[in-house]
Amino acid sequence: MSAAFPFLHYPRCGHFRMDHGEHLASVELQESPDEVQSLLKLISSNEVAVFDSIIVESETSNFSNQINVSQPTGHQRKPSISISMPSSPTAASSAGTKSVFFVDDNAKGFRNGVPDSSVASNTLSNTEAKAVKFLSQPTRKGSVFAEAAKIRNINQQPNIKKLKDKRFDSFKTWSGKLERQLSNLRRKSREIESEENCVRNSENEALPVDRYFDALEGPELENLRASEEIVLPDDKTWPFLLRYPISSFGICLGVGSQAVMWKTLATATSTKFLHINPIINLILWWISVALVAIVASIYLVKVILYFEAVRREYYHPIRVNFFFAPWISLLFLVLGMPPSVTSNLPLALWYVLMTPIFCLELKIYGQWMSGGQRRLSKVANPSNHLSIVGNFVGALLGASMGLKEGPLFFFAVGLAHYTVLFVTLYQRLPTNETLPKELHPVFFLFVAAPSVASMAWATIQGSFDYGSRIAYFIALFLYFSLAIRINFFRGFKFSLAWWAYTFPMTGAAVATMRYSSAVTNIVTQTLSVVLSVVATLTVTALLVTTMLHAFVLRDLFPNDIAIAISDRKPKPHKKWFNLRHGSSGHSRDIETFLKFASADRKDIEAALKIPTEEATSV
Amino acid sequence: MAVITSQPELQLVVGTPHTSSSVAIDHIQNSSCLSTIIARRIKESLTSILTKFHAGYFRVSLSLGGQALLWKTLIGPTDDTSTLRLTLHMFHPTAFTLLWSFSFFTLVLLSILYLLRCLFYFKMVKEEFLHRVGVNYLFAPSISWLLLLQSGPFFTPNYHYSYVVLWWVFAVPVVVLDVKIYGQWFTKGKKFLSAVANPTSQLSVIGNLVSAQAAANMGWKESAIGFFSLGMVHYLVLFVTLYQRLSGTDRLPTMLRPAFFLFFAAPSMASLAWQSIAGSFDTTSKMLFFLSLFLFMSLVCRPTLFKRSMRRFNVAWWAYSFPLSVLALASMEYAEEVKGDIAHLLMLLLLTFSVLVSITLIIFTLLNTKILLLPNHFDHIGSFLSLPRVSPLSKKTTTTCV
Repeated sequence: MSAAFPFLHYPRCGHFRMDHGEHLASVELQESPDEVQSLLKLISSNEVAVFDSIIVESETSNFSNQINVSQPTGHQRKPSISISMPSSPTAASSAGTKSVFFVDDNAKGFRNGVPDSSVASNTLSNTEAKAVKFLSQPTRKGSVFAEAAKIRNINQQPNIKKLKDKRFDSFKTWSGKLERQLSNLRRKSREIESEENCVRNSENEALPVDRYFDALEGPELENLRASEEIVLPDDKTWPFLLRYPISSFGICLGVGSQAVMWKTLATATSTKFLHINPIINLILWWISVALVAIVASIYLVKVILYFEAVRREYYHPIRVNFFFAPWISLLFLVLGMPPSVTSNLPLALWYVLMTPIFCLELKIYGQWMSGGQRRLSKVANPSNHLSIVGNFVGALLGASMGLKEGPLFFFAVGLAHYTVLFVTLYQRLPTNETLPKELHPVFFLFVAAPSVASMAWATIQGSFDYGSRIAYFIALFLYFSLAIRINFFRGFKFSLAWWAYTFPMTGAAVATMRYSSAVTNIVTQTLSVVLSVVATLTVTALLVTTMLHAFVLRDLFPNDIAIAISDRKPKPHKKWFNLRHGSSGHSRDIETFLKFASADRKDIEAALKIPTEEATSV
Repeated sequence: MAVITSQPELQLVVGTPHTSSSVAIDHIQNSSCLSTIIARRIKESLTSILTKFHAGYFRVSLSLGGQALLWKTLIGPTDDTSTLRLTLHMFHPTAFTLLWSFSFFTLVLLSILYLLRCLFYFKMVKEEFLHRVGVNYLFAPSISWLLLLQSGPFFTPNYHYSYVVLWWVFAVPVVVLDVKIYGQWFTKGKKFLSAVANPTSQLSVIGNLVSAQAAANMGWKESAIGFFSLGMVHYLVLFVTLYQRLSGTDRLPTMLRPAFFLFFAAPSMASLAWQSIAGSFDTTSKMLFFLSLFLFMSLVCRPTLFKRSMRRFNVAWWAYSFPLSVLALASMEYAEEVKGDIAHLLMLLLLTFSVLVSITLIIFTLLNTKILLLPNHFDHIGSFLSLPRVSPLSKKTTTTCV
C-alpha cells in the first residue's frame, strides 16, 4: 500500500504533527520563517483537503489566523500573514497538499478495509470539524478530528471579531496599513517571508485583466468559476460597504433618465396633446436628486474606507464602465431640471461636470489604443457603451445650454470611439471573452449611444437634420431587433446594474419625441407614446423587483464576489486527479474521491447550518 | 535555413570594403597612392550609407516639410486679426525662405540617396516593400515632395503650370502604392489588414490626404475629393482595426513607438484637406481637429509608452515632429475660424511645442550624425534591415525578429 501511495507517510506525519501542530506553530512562529512556512503548509494541507476549492484559501488563511491567535502571547497576529497566506504558500502547495490529503484519506479508507465507513467517519468528523471551524471561522481543522475539540476550545475566544476584521483588511485603506505598521513595530525576528508577502500584496495591486477573465464568468462577469477561489470568506456576509458595487449608480441613471423623459413629454410640441403635468417631472427630479445624493455618499464612504475594493472594481473589465455612471447621472439631473427650479445655469457648470468624464476617457480610451492587456479586442463588451454615451449626453447638455465648441469636441470624440466599439462588438471577435453568448439586458445599451447622439446632433445643429435622423433610425432599428427577441432575456439573475439598462429605453423614447416634433404625424406620435409607456412600465417593474429583493428576499446586495478573486490561479484538483489516475489507475480511488467530494459539498452546507446556531449561542 | 545561406552572401557586401581596405593598406605600403585611398574610402562610406539608408529616413524631410508649410501658412495672408497672429506675421520672409531651402536641400539629398539605393541595392528596397512597416514609409518621399510643393515660396497655387505637372509627378506614386497596398488588405492571403495593420499604416492615409489638399489648392476639386474619400474610407477601417489591437501591440518594436504620433496626424491632415476642399473650416474639419486633439492629449498623458524608445537617439525620433506640425497647422486654422482666446492660446502652445521639438531634433541629429550613418548601429525602421540579415525567402524570420 505504501508503494501505491507514495505520499502515505507524508500526511501521516503531518497528521500527527497537527496534534502538536498548533502548539508547535505557536512556538515556532517566532523562530525561523522557513519552518513556519513548512509547518503552515502541513497544517494547511490538512485543512485544505477537506473542503471544496472555493472555501479552501480563505479557510486556510483563517486557519493560519487561528494558529496565530492561539499563541499564548495573544498578541495580534500580523494580519499580513493571515491575509497573505492564501496567495502564496497555500496556492503554491495546494496541489501537493490536496494530494497529500486524499492519499491519506484513501489510505485510511483502505486501511480499515471498509472504505465507506471510513469515509463516512471522515465526513462525520469533518462535519464536526467543520462545525468547529465555522465557529472559529477559519478553523478548518480538516483532518484533525481528535484535535477538533481542543482546537475548538482554543479557537473560541480568539477574537472572532478581530479575525473578521482582519480578513477584510486587505480591502481597507488605512486600517490595513495601520495594522501593518503596528505589527511591524511589534515584530522582531518574524517571518520575513510573511513580510515579503505583505509587501508583495501591497505592490501587486493591479490585478491583471486576465485574472478577471479566468476567475469570473457570466454576462456581467459576476459569477465565480467553479475552479476559482476568493480571498474573502464566502459563507459569511461581508460588510455592507464591501457588498456595495459601483453598478448601484445604475439606479440614478434609470431614474434620472425618467425625469428627463417626463420633462420632454410635458414640453415637446408633438406630445402636448397628452397634457402631461409638469409636476411629474418635478417629483421625479427630486427623487433622482435624493437618489444620487444617497448613492454617491455611500460610495464615497466606501472609497474612503475600502479603497482597495474600489480599486479592484476599477480593474474589473465591466465594472470600470460604471465609473462613468455618477457623472452621467449628474448630467441627467441638469438635463431634467424642471424649469421651476431654475432657468439659467452658469456655463462653468458644464465644464465642471465634463471634466471627470474627460479624464476618465483619456485613461480608458488610451488603454484601448495602447494595446497591452486591456486592449479593446480583448475587453470589448456592451457595457463599454456607458463610456461612450457620456460624450453624447455631455454634448446634448452643452448644446442645450448654448455652447458650441465644447459639445462638438465631445461629440467628435464620442463618435469616433463609438464607431470603433460598434464594429468591434458586432464582429464578436473570438478573442473577445467578455461578450455574453446569450442575450442579456445589457444588450439594450446598444440603443443608448445612437439615440442620444441623434438628440445631441439635433441640438448642436439646431434642427433635426439628416445626420440626426440617420442616427435615430439606427437606434430604432436596434431597439426593435432587441425587443423582438424579448424571450431570450429570461433566466438571468437580477442585479442592480439592470437599472442602467433601462436608460437606453428612456433615451429612445425621448429621441422619438424629438423626432416627432420635427416630423409630426400620427405614426410618430403613437410611437413616442408607446415607447414612453414601455419605458415607464419597465422602470416600474424594475422598481418592484428591487423592492422585492431589498425587503422580502433581502439579497439586493449579495457578496460581491467579482472583486474578491484571488490574484493567482489556484492549482486545480484535477491535476492531481489525473496524476493519480495515471500512476495507480485505481478506479476505486477515483470513486472514493468523487464520493467524498460530492458528499463534502452536502456536508458543508449541513455544517453551515448547524454552526450558525452554535455561533449565535457562543 | 534560408537565413544561413543568405548571410554569407550579404556578409560579403560588408566584407568587401574590409578586404579592399586591407588591399589598400598593402598598396600604401607599396606605392603610397593617396587618391586611390581616398576614392576607396569614399566608396566604403557610400556603400555603408546606402546599405543603411532606408525610407524611414524620409521622416526628416517629412518633418521639415511640415514645418515649412506651417510657417508659410503662418506668415501668409489671413483673416485672423488677433494680436498673436499679427505678432507672428512679423516672422521675416527671408527666414522662411531659408527654412524652405534647407528642407528642399535635405529632401533632394535624401531622394538622391534613395535613388542610388534603388539602383544599386534594389533587393534591399524590395525587402522594404515587402515588410509591413517599411512599405508605409515608401509614401514618405511623395508626401515630403508634395508638402514642399505646397509650401514653396515662389509658387502661387493658382494653376501655375509647373505646379500641376509636379503635382502629377508626385501623386502618381501615391496612387500606384495605394492600389497595391489597399488591394492587398482585403485580397491577398498573407497581407490582410488584420495581419499587417500597425500605426505606420496611417502614412498611406496621410499620403492620400496630402495629395487631396495639394489638388484642392490648385483648384482640381474632383481629384481632391477623390483622394480625400479614398483616404478617409481606408482611414475608417484602419482606425477601427488599430483601436482593436487584435494582436496586442502589433509586435511593433519598441523603438518605433514614436510612430504612435501618427494617430493624431491623420485626423489633423484630414481636417486640413477638408478645409481646402470645402473652402472653410466647417463642422467636419472641426470634428476631425477635435478628434486629433483628443488623441494627442491621450498620448501625451502616457509618457511611459515612449520611455523605452527614448533611450538612444535614432531616426525614429523624427516621427515626433511631423504630426505635431500638422496639428499646430490645424489649430491655426481653427483659431482663425473661431477667433476665441482659448483657441489662440491652444494654437500658441501647439506651435511652440512643434517648433521646439523640431529644433531639438535637428540639434540631436547634427550631434549624432555618426550614429545615423555608421553601419553597425542598431537601426530602427524595425531591426529587419540590420542585424539578422534576412533574405526575401525567410519572411518568417523577419516577423519574428521584429
